Amino acid sequence: MARLTSQSRGQLAAIAQVRWHIFTHSLRTTKGALELFSRIVIGIVITAGGLGGAVLLGVVASYFVSKGKPEALALLLWPVFVFWQLFPVMATALSETMDSSHLLRFPLNYRAYLLVRLVYGALDPATVLGTLWLLGITLGVGWARPGVLFLWTTLVLILFAGVNMLLTQMVFAWIERWLAQRRTREIFAVLFFLAMISLQLIGPMLSRYGDRSNATLHKISHVASPVQAILPPGVAAAAIASAADGRYVLAFAFLAGLLLYAAAVLRVLGVRLRAQYRGENLSEVTRDARPLQGYAGVKPGWTVPGLSSPVAAVFEKELRYLGRSGPMLLTFVTPIIMLVVFGMRGRSGGFLDNSPDLALPIGSAYALLLLTNLIYNTFGADGGGVQFFLASPASFRSVVLGKNLAHMAVLAAEVVVLAVGVSLLFRLPSLLAVATTVAGLLFAAPLNLAAGNLLSLYSPKKIEVATFGRQRASQLTVLASFILQILIFGVGVLTIFAARHYASPWLAVILFLALAAISFTIYGLVLTRIDPLAQRRREILTTELCK
Amino acid sequence: MQEAGNAPHNSTAAIATENLTRRFGDLVAVQDVNLRVSPGQFFGFLGPNGAGKSTTIKMLTGLLAPTSGRIEILGLDFERQVVDVKRQIGVVPEGLALFGRLTGAEYLTFVGRMYGLDRDTCARRATELLEFMQLADQPHKLVTDYSHGMQKKLALAAAVIHGPKILFLDEPFEGVDAIAAGTLKSMLQRMIARGATIFLTSHVLEIVERLCSHVAIIHRGQLVAQGSLEELRAGVEAQSAAQAEALPSTGKLTLEEIFLHTVGGTRSAEQELSWLG
Repeated sequence: MARLTSQSRGQLAAIAQVRWHIFTHSLRTTKGALELFSRIVIGIVITAGGLGGAVLLGVVASYFVSKGKPEALALLLWPVFVFWQLFPVMATALSETMDSSHLLRFPLNYRAYLLVRLVYGALDPATVLGTLWLLGITLGVGWARPGVLFLWTTLVLILFAGVNMLLTQMVFAWIERWLAQRRTREIFAVLFFLAMISLQLIGPMLSRYGDRSNATLHKISHVASPVQAILPPGVAAAAIASAADGRYVLAFAFLAGLLLYAAAVLRVLGVRLRAQYRGENLSEVTRDARPLQGYAGVKPGWTVPGLSSPVAAVFEKELRYLGRSGPMLLTFVTPIIMLVVFGMRGRSGGFLDNSPDLALPIGSAYALLLLTNLIYNTFGADGGGVQFFLASPASFRSVVLGKNLAHMAVLAAEVVVLAVGVSLLFRLPSLLAVATTVAGLLFAAPLNLAAGNLLSLYSPKKIEVATFGRQRASQLTVLASFILQILIFGVGVLTIFAARHYASPWLAVILFLALAAISFTIYGLVLTRIDPLAQRRREILTTELCK
Repeated sequence: MQEAGNAPHNSTAAIATENLTRRFGDLVAVQDVNLRVSPGQFFGFLGPNGAGKSTTIKMLTGLLAPTSGRIEILGLDFERQVVDVKRQIGVVPEGLALFGRLTGAEYLTFVGRMYGLDRDTCARRATELLEFMQLADQPHKLVTDYSHGMQKKLALAAAVIHGPKILFLDEPFEGVDAIAAGTLKSMLQRMIARGATIFLTSHVLEIVERLCSHVAIIHRGQLVAQGSLEELRAGVEAQSAAQAEALPSTGKLTLEEIFLHTVGGTRSAEQELSWLG
């Protein structure tokens, strides 16, 4: 990258300064101070996880190098790589890439714009954790072979970290692009499901051919091994291994390969960023505006049996919103991906292969966890629309109930899809597994809804449902959600243990149902108090959501 | 000109406030405002930037709680009969309160149902409103993809779908072209003809002068003038005569002149901002 002009440097300094001002001004309010506190707590948890992983990886890396098997470092670099790329997609509440579109009105040149995107886009937990883990591996190698190899490993892994950071941003930028328009969204969905089906075929293939002869497995590993070797983790490991063996020309060649990856990823990312820099408009209108043809007037809204008109209207509105949010839909299929990943079986069988009855409860719990992104900031996507809720004669209770029902409908649909997936991947879930899952959800979901309804009023944050990873949820909400999930998980584990202890699997169902009664009572109590609470919080709601 | 600060009259007003006050910490945004708007009036609420217009309209529509004071809408106490009040009013707030990822038709039927209209009535009225507002030609377009003028028209359509008796509009003509403004004005005049009351804030004084029969001016949080345009004009002339001041024009005073006289408008010195060329 050519040198930045003094004007660009001034602009970058101004951007950094304005972000600092925004941060310090945010501390003037109690909410801002709580946000900082939550961020510090979350930061400590992430750093602790990072340091623990770093120590572990360091010890293993040191072992590999001291035993003369540096090429096995690929086994460590691959998980780091996969985590670095997948975590931001799976935990969007913790990820943030700067929404820099508002910078475009200033005379910012492309280089400065790119730099802003790269720097602020790199400030996420995946980068912190990945960097700490790579540091652990570097120190492990240095512990085993200090000197030239340590310095070389440092250089290689810095470059590897760079590739990871750029690749994450590239993936985010392109997924957002593909999800922005209906046509590309449909193509993306088809490709995605084809990939899912392909992954599902790996397990049966391994099972079928793996048992008959080792030859086929060897054949597959012969194909897979070179493939992994030419991908970034494999190349990075090969660069270190070659240097460890004294083959420096080869080591430099692999380093150059890694550089090539960085350049290629930057180039592909650049295509997106240049389009954004030019002020692209991904509005669907220009391509999807269907002019009036035989317009027969407006269709009446949905009727939902048992629901009042306002509740049904909010229910319909929520589902329409979700259906039009590509990123949100992608989030909802993540549990299926997890199932497929866990369902991939080797010759000795995968984790869920050995305990297939756990597949449905685990998948459902994960689905609920992902749904908390919505539940805990239920007015976030409404933005200024919250003013309508406050000005309309419908009670806030109706509004919240409609939203909660819509979210539960999504959860129910997802559990059904998961049940079908479990049946196809493993076996038909047993009645006990289904009953335990449903009872567990009846316990966990109302508690999450109750907490979500309160946090949505106490800590609202405007979000744009059409963007992917460009916004961070309130850190206070993330922390509260984290604590509640730990509590629910703890109670769930105790319940299962109690059932096992008394050798009565159905006891778990009964206990979950008893807990569900308490959850529903708490949910009901919160719901009955939501109107006066919303009245008291209306100023915060309008201030935060109408920004 | 009715003196500002008077208490509400005894007869039922469309909108009446009594010592309406709102503080933000140490800042008093609105202080002891006593407004009275009679049914059927087209009422303009004016003031310089930061005078307290939006704060007042937010309190009148339930978007902001007053620190003290009382609001009555059509004789109903806002605090105690909040749902009944909300059924009677329509609001186009400053941020328009739209749901961007619905189509215009979906948004209107949604709003209608939230006001308790049955599904068929919602659909029928939404169709009529979309056609009247010239928004019906692209029924599948999402609100977020509407132009600013289209969004304003949709917001007004949503505010009237339940047939409110009082309509509150916060800057309805801001950023709207002449064609869209014409449609909005046509809709508002229909409502006035039907006997509704309209309360609007606007910086476009020509529009207020043309549309409104009555005006109130708020300055630094306090109501400084209230009455019909004629009353306000006569008040300014009388005040100028009493203080032997020269009026800006010899003919009939425009609303802009009344406004500037009332709030004491200033002009920048010529030598300031010389770098602008």
